[in-house]
Amino acid sequence: MLDITLGQYYPGNSFIHRLDPRTKILTTLLLIIAVFLANTAIGYGILCAMVVLIIAVSGIPFMMVLKSVKPLLLIIVMTLLLHTLLGQGEHVLYQWKIFKVTEEGLQMGVKMSMRLILLLMISSILTFTTSPIVLTDGIESLLRPFRVIGVPAHELAMMMTIALRFIPTLMEETDRIIKAQTARGADFSGGNLLARAKNMLPILVPLFISAFRRADDLAVAMEARCYRGGDGRTRMHQLAYRSGDFIAFVFAFVMIGLLAFLRWGLALHP
Amino acid sequence: MEPVIEVKGLKHIYTDSDNNRITALEQIDMQIMPGEFVAVIGSNGSGKSTLARHLNALLLPTEGSVKINGMDTMEEDNLWMIRQQIGMVFQNPDNQIVAAIVEEDVAFGPENIGVPADEIRKRVDEALRIVDMEAYRTHAPHLLSGGQKQRVAIAGTLALGSECIVLDEPTAMLDPRGRREILATMKRLNKEKNITVVYITHFMTEAMEADRVVVMNKGKIVFQGTPAEVFSRVDELEKMGLEAPMASKFAFELKKSGAKLPKGIITNEDLAEALC
Repeated sequence: MLDITLGQYYPGNSFIHRLDPRTKILTTLLLIIAVFLANTAIGYGILCAMVVLIIAVSGIPFMMVLKSVKPLLLIIVMTLLLHTLLGQGEHVLYQWKIFKVTEEGLQMGVKMSMRLILLLMISSILTFTTSPIVLTDGIESLLRPFRVIGVPAHELAMMMTIALRFIPTLMEETDRIIKAQTARGADFSGGNLLARAKNMLPILVPLFISAFRRADDLAVAMEARCYRGGDGRTRMHQLAYRSGDFIAFVFAFVMIGLLAFLRWGLALHP
Repeated sequence: MEPVIEVKGLKHIYTDSDNNRITALEQIDMQIMPGEFVAVIGSNGSGKSTLARHLNALLLPTEGSVKINGMDTMEEDNLWMIRQQIGMVFQNPDNQIVAAIVEEDVAFGPENIGVPADEIRKRVDEALRIVDMEAYRTHAPHLLSGGQKQRVAIAGTLALGSECIVLDEPTAMLDPRGRREILATMKRLNKEKNITVVYITHFMTEAMEADRVVVMNKGKIVFQGTPAEVFSRVDELEKMGLEAPMASKFAFELKKSGAKLPKGIITNEDLAEALC
């Protein structure tokens, strides 16, 4: 229970790991745009090659990234099936009663599910190569300009930091409460859904009480250490763009340019 | 020399959940000079934690005044200066660490007061070195022992630039090893860095190490003096629910049955010397 990994950070020191978190967030967004631009087989081919290349550079085991697709596997399969079975088109490949499989439908299904898979893999590379703490710094820094329109950038980042800090502590606590309640004869296994939900009460009530007490203590401790919100606050770790970040941005823009060309450019100059 | 902490006629009244007005502190007069190591002892509910919070302007006096280096805690403009000068370490090691990495947590204080980045770096490294936690710089706090967490908290106050550290029962939740670590660290800071220490505890063995012991009961300071003076008053301490150290209790009982022993026996060594 003590060794809790948060998120799915895969520690390493690759080119991708060393990039500034802001670069990684922004290039991830750019690559997501690139994915939406793809509409040809060549386009998807290029994107797949790109994802494989990025994974290779980052040094994360390929299967690990592939596994991140798993939670949405059902949706991906549904997308494929629905498009294939219900898609309209002229080139009928196979027909059974009202269901007909058309070439266009099949193509659409494959494209759509490829799109989902690529999106999942690209965004999970971000979380695989960036620790949640660094990610928080990046988000705070990127949101800072939006403070003028009322986005609480510092407060959000502080909340995330504290959450990251206290999740392991509260998990230990949950473990302790479960043991204590078990020792008092509480039974957490068995029963239907309602019974099991009811069984959670003796865990949740002490956990909430303790969490509020901790919050109170922490607030006092933060105040004692001169905390007064984000104004006038400095950071020890200054984010800085380096040459690697420049390369990453160029790469992302080249990808967008390439896919935009494949989408529109070829049509204009056949 | 000007006192670091000057408490005059302090009274603190608070309203509890049933709307009763409860007097937590009354007629507190206390002066703490730079470089002193003062222990505050008292049983549960004696008001020692309330007093600690007054020293950092976390609570404000109902009557009387608390001055830190001449600055009144009632003046709002002094608030941040006071909190920089008086560092606080609390009882629960888990609930005072803010960041998910040790060095980030030590940096929390200086970040709040707007110290430039490279200066924070210097202060953090120095503070971690002083409390001997450099090796754990990039660790997650939940993987540290209680004593280590408290040392991180001490480093946090040092990085803030505090010249006086108030510790509110810092060892109450620690194992014996952690307790020794914290006391040794504070003794060393007091000697080597001339840090003023206000050490609130209910462990008499820890209070024995102080220059001066302040005994509190029911919101008042009952008496104060050197450890030898305070711990010789075995019967008075016991009436307040405090247990004097073994040696002084032993000496007290021996004297009651007629043995001629010198005053101020509090450690086992004192006792051995007097008896043999």
